[in-house]
Amino acid sequence: MGIIQYTLIAYGLTAIISLAVIGVIVLVNNVVSGGNNNGAN
Amino acid sequence: MVDVLISLFPGISSLFLQDPVIAIARVVLIIAGFFIAYYGYKRTLEPLIMVPMGLGMIAVNAGVLVLGDGGFGTIFINSLAEEPLNVLELMQINWLQPIYNLTFGNGLIACLVFMGIGALSEIGFILSRPWTCVFIAILAELGTFVALIIGVKMGLLPNEAAAVAVIGGADGPMVLFTSLVLAKHLFVPIAIISYLYLSLTYAAYPFLVRWLVPKKYLGIDVEVAVPNVSKKAKFISTVACCTLLCWLLPVAAPLMVSFFLGVAIKEAEIEPLQEFFEGPLLYGSTLFLGFLLGTLCEAQALLDPRVLSCVVLGVVALGFSALGGLFAGWLVYWFSKGNFNPAIGIAGISCVPTTAKIAQECVSEENPFAIIMPIAMGCNVSGVIVSAVASGVLIATVHMVG
Repeated sequence: MGIIQYTLIAYGLTAIISLAVIGVIVLVNNVVSGGNNNGAN
Repeated sequence: MVDVLISLFPGISSLFLQDPVIAIARVVLIIAGFFIAYYGYKRTLEPLIMVPMGLGMIAVNAGVLVLGDGGFGTIFINSLAEEPLNVLELMQINWLQPIYNLTFGNGLIACLVFMGIGALSEIGFILSRPWTCVFIAILAELGTFVALIIGVKMGLLPNEAAAVAVIGGADGPMVLFTSLVLAKHLFVPIAIISYLYLSLTYAAYPFLVRWLVPKKYLGIDVEVAVPNVSKKAKFISTVACCTLLCWLLPVAAPLMVSFFLGVAIKEAEIEPLQEFFEGPLLYGSTLFLGFLLGTLCEAQALLDPRVLSCVVLGVVALGFSALGGLFAGWLVYWFSKGNFNPAIGIAGISCVPTTAKIAQECVSEENPFAIIMPIAMGCNVSGVIVSAVASGVLIATVHMVG
């Protein structure tokens, strides 16, 4: 695989995993807080 | 008489007996060490790292003596020793060798620093505007990937380029850890260059922020509803996040668990451990990190031609990360119709809490009443997560480059 193609895939993967992690934080927070937390947007 | 003087003052006489290039480099590094320590004292550079590092640089380049084999050297560290018997022997001669081999050369010190950083991090800040924070942090990782491409084009192997490119995340412990896994032979130059640059960002990024964010935008106050998140929610989020990241990126699991252990201790309010993490552990690790980095700055090590590649790539990585972060700040400003300060973008770079402090200081100069620190810290902590993810992705997949 060429370096540019690899870099795009690696950056995309980084973005997706990071978004998933933040999603988990938000989701768990909402579940534990019973949906009373209106700060997370 | 001359022989007596030579053996009496080997640190000075070696300057005249060594290769002139190395001798000159030693003098330059002694002077550089003085300025690094001095500007640390003046707070122009990060004092926690730079004062011990400067003194280490001075000592290792001044304290050269004639060793048993007739060559010149010091009794500090031999970072190139790999054979177990040789390492064991050196541990009885070089006073910092045990600390280097047992904490530095295996990445432990990076994990210890991360535990301390975790204990200082407030995960609740992310929850004020989570998607904004992570969006900025993702774009502030741009330098890592730009430097990776340039590094390979410069002739480095993909694993070497990736090891250096991680400097773009501006996360010292992460750089140490990644370079150990991906390119152990470049570990010393990468470690030295990364920390020198990370300290320089302390001085250089404010200029970049003021240059790219005009004064009338720099003073914008941001309305943020900081959510009232319970300790329980933050603790469970921390554990879930740690589980997910260790699961997805086992190669980065030591760093991940170190960081989230610090966060979990804080959220669980285990005060004796929290005080230990925030104080003795973090400051003790930082002291030895800085001092060891200084003593690794031997003239011979820095004259390695590979250092030049690290120097160039380090600038590229940190420069593009800053541009990416500030660009993200502007995008959020436009999308939120002006309810955002573009300077916060610099805080997406995960140098906790330095870049968040830089953003707040730049903003406070224009508008002393503008408080952007909570959201800047949210971006900062998101930056730690994104740079850890980027390191994990690079470690796990860089072998795919043909």
